[in-house]
Amino acid sequence: MLLIAWEAVGRLHGAYWISSPSLVLERIWMLVLNGDLWFHGRFTLGEALGGFLLGAIPGCAVAMALRRHPFSRAAFLGVAAIGYAIPKTALVPLFILWLGVGPGAKVALVTAAIFFIVFYSTLDGVDAVDQKLLLSARVFGASESQLLRHVVWPAVVPYVFGGLRVAVPYAIAGAIVGEIISSNRGLGYLAQYGAMDFDTTLVFVSLVIVMLIVLSVSAVLSLIQKRLLRWQISQSQGARTVGA
Amino acid sequence: MKRDVPEEAVADVLLQLRGLGISYGQSDANERRWILRDLDLSVREGEFVTVMGSSGAGKSTLLNLVAQTLQPSAGRIAFRGKAVGGADMPPNPGSNRQIGYVTQDDNLLPWRTVWDNVMFPLMLAGKPSSSDVHRVRRLIEQVGLSQWTKHYPHQLSGGMRKRASLARTLAYNPPVVLMDEPFGALDAETRAQLQFDLLELWASERKTILFVTHDINEAIALGDRIIVLSGSPGQVVLERRIDIDRPRDPELIFKAPTFAGHYDAVRNCLRGAGHS
Repeated sequence: MLLIAWEAVGRLHGAYWISSPSLVLERIWMLVLNGDLWFHGRFTLGEALGGFLLGAIPGCAVAMALRRHPFSRAAFLGVAAIGYAIPKTALVPLFILWLGVGPGAKVALVTAAIFFIVFYSTLDGVDAVDQKLLLSARVFGASESQLLRHVVWPAVVPYVFGGLRVAVPYAIAGAIVGEIISSNRGLGYLAQYGAMDFDTTLVFVSLVIVMLIVLSVSAVLSLIQKRLLRWQISQSQGARTVGA
Repeated sequence: MKRDVPEEAVADVLLQLRGLGISYGQSDANERRWILRDLDLSVREGEFVTVMGSSGAGKSTLLNLVAQTLQPSAGRIAFRGKAVGGADMPPNPGSNRQIGYVTQDDNLLPWRTVWDNVMFPLMLAGKPSSSDVHRVRRLIEQVGLSQWTKHYPHQLSGGMRKRASLARTLAYNPPVVLMDEPFGALDAETRAQLQFDLLELWASERKTILFVTHDINEAIALGDRIIVLSGSPGQVVLERRIDIDRPRDPELIFKAPTFAGHYDAVRNCLRGAGHS
């Protein structure tokens, strides 16, 4: 319906303002054939993925590590609150100053955005771990590392995934914003270039591609999550309770 | 204290609590709030002791002290004559794996299947041997969960989770098992069945059990001895040996000739304690 409306408005008013699905598809196909899409797409993907990993892994690790250290935790949370409060896009000039106009600055931007999302959601998970489960595992003789691996980590995984799923669009958005601000390649650059050239179709092409990337990455994440959290998923599917 | 049990001078004492106390508050001994104080208790190897008491008398606290999840403020705990806990020893739950603890909640790990939950304590100690696996399989069969090993805890009923929790505690073969109102939240029928199964397991495994309950029938049906805790701070106010022959049927325990005497003694003690 939306596509049809888009196409109709595009044809009635002319494609200048909002382009049209057929034009966008045509252009995508063209860009695929001449390799431009892959050229720009891989930069954006690389930056987003790099920043995603550089932000998510430490975010998760730091939150887990602070579990039994209330003092370091309080200190870190104080600093993190400042870091979280700063709009990440405002840091771009700084990143460009430090890392140049190349992919480095975009990776840094994505990292800064992702770290906090994953850190705070993991921290929530760590706080929510059932103390009684921990205590009973200790009575069974679990060591600290066994507690982390067998009790804390499984309990935290759903929270980590919650954070990761929120983080995916931010990772792509971070890379795109970085590219729009200063770049000569990437999907963000493509959109910016299109806008400067009054090439509305090109702007929409990059929007559609970005949307497809976010949707497919989210789908992959959700598959992994389903696999890891079988013990939880089956709750809704086969919520059957049987008599003793 | 009313005692109809002679002061034990027996050699087969497994667990001995001497002058055990726990208090909150940092100031000097007189201003602290004592939860339990000057508690003496000796439990023989293979004995089934049921612990009763008014609420707040420190029944669960007593188990937590024995399990070493709490540190006593006074006194000491000895296991086979060797001090394992005390006011001057940092608590170290699970350090010697002599104690199994079945808590009020089943505390099964929701991300592990029944089988993996029961194997969990064994796995913590290293790779389970084939005799461990065999033992676990037999225990799961004894608690009637053979069909449910691949299920997750949330797919089971409360009674079944309790059974899994019991099997898990027995899996690593601790000589002492602490049970804190394990059957409190179950319906009467499930409860009677579990009491019956527990007595069978106790007979076949020869465990020493410390069992907290608020149900006098249950305390009489299961225990070799009942102790009643009361007061603030909590102390042992009654110790009574239950001389009903075994094997017992928990559901028909009231038919035992001496049942009424035990029942009245415990009830009067609990009532008196409640008013003091």
